[in-house]
Amino acid sequence: MTAEKSREGCIICGIIAGRIPSKKVYEDDLVMAVLDVNGSNPGHCFVMPKNHYPIIEQVPDPEIGKLFQVSNKISTAIFESLGAQGTNIFVANGIPAGQTVAHFTINVIPRKENDGINLQWQPKQLSEEEMSTVELKLKEQSKNIGNFEREKKIAKVAASKPVEISGEEEEFFSRQLRRLP
Amino acid sequence: MAEPQMTPEQIKALQEKIKSMSPEELKEFQKKQCIFCQIISGKIQAKKTYEDDKVIAILDINPSNPGHILLLTKEHYSIMPQLPDDELSHVFMVAKSLSNTMLRSIDAQGTNIIVANGIAAGQRAQHFMVHVIPRKEKDGVNFVLPQKSMEQSEVESVGNRIIAALGGSVEKEEKPPVPMAQFLQPKIVPETRKQDRKEPKQASDEKDDSITTPDNKGNDSKKDSPKPKSGIDLDDIAKLLGAK
Repeated sequence: MTAEKSREGCIICGIIAGRIPSKKVYEDDLVMAVLDVNGSNPGHCFVMPKNHYPIIEQVPDPEIGKLFQVSNKISTAIFESLGAQGTNIFVANGIPAGQTVAHFTINVIPRKENDGINLQWQPKQLSEEEMSTVELKLKEQSKNIGNFEREKKIAKVAASKPVEISGEEEEFFSRQLRRLP
Repeated sequence: MAEPQMTPEQIKALQEKIKSMSPEELKEFQKKQCIFCQIISGKIQAKKTYEDDKVIAILDINPSNPGHILLLTKEHYSIMPQLPDDELSHVFMVAKSLSNTMLRSIDAQGTNIIVANGIAAGQRAQHFMVHVIPRKEKDGVNFVLPQKSMEQSEVESVGNRIIAALGGSVEKEEKPPVPMAQFLQPKIVPETRKQDRKEPKQASDEKDDSITTPDNKGNDSKKDSPKPKSGIDLDDIAKLLGAK
């Protein structure tokens, strides 16, 4: 199985293909950014991979790098041009996290004081034991993290090729994705 | 979290002290004040779940959910625009992997990745960090992103201002804006960036300066006022961590 270039019925793919009108603020071969016309503040932008990846785990590392670089530039541009007092970069993966469209999207949100946006939380009290258990579990799983360099080199040679997802990965994600509209 | 208040005298004394510093001293001062730099150097204990040469991931002591991770750059940056592109890419590749580990090891059903730049955005510490938050249904975390609709004319003007700030062209509005891929080219080599870090006064990015070097904006009292406050925030966290 390969990741899809574009999926029919996906709003974001429709925007990228130009079937759905939008105000583009940035575009290159892999990434597009548009203004969210129903955003949380004027200047709220979506940064999206052109290829159809429902959640972040499927987006290849080099594309992740580029997507967030673009988000960073847009964040800076928002500071400079809209007089924002701050910006948020916000990603929601999965429905419990607030994801509404099955196409990975980074929100870049201009902020002002008392603008009605709330990305704060009520801290949860965990016992020392609970914290240690979580720490151990995450640490164990995090041993596999790294080795991003190899993917970078591949990216230079074949950045636009569809990205392979191994059978095992696909199986894992397909469970996740069936949950998304 | 309650924010302890400084007396006006203390604020004034701190401002005077900061104003009299050279850029190098200021950088050192910021680092010393920074609780997260002390965590990175090992002076303060934290629960690390991942570490490499550029970043470190620790558990938030005031988590939104169990497993809430703070992903920090080892280098001290106050806000995201200060990060060189290669380092930024690395940070988010790790963030993606951490999100992945949450789905696999602690039964998260989803994740949020959040960066706050500036106090208005909810930034509390002067050290760039990415929050990676494991999510479950009905976990009590309620992020509010209201929808505000924009007039078409506003869409055009706001969009064009962003495009212009990105360095693009907006001459013909019916035509899609010119790609601005040039800013992704590695024209800024990391070496130059390192020099900039040591000499914040020469850094070309004014926005960085406005937040990292309060002395540059001494004439703008409105912008200055939150800075000492955020310095106290750090002390507050230091106390909490030190109490262990």
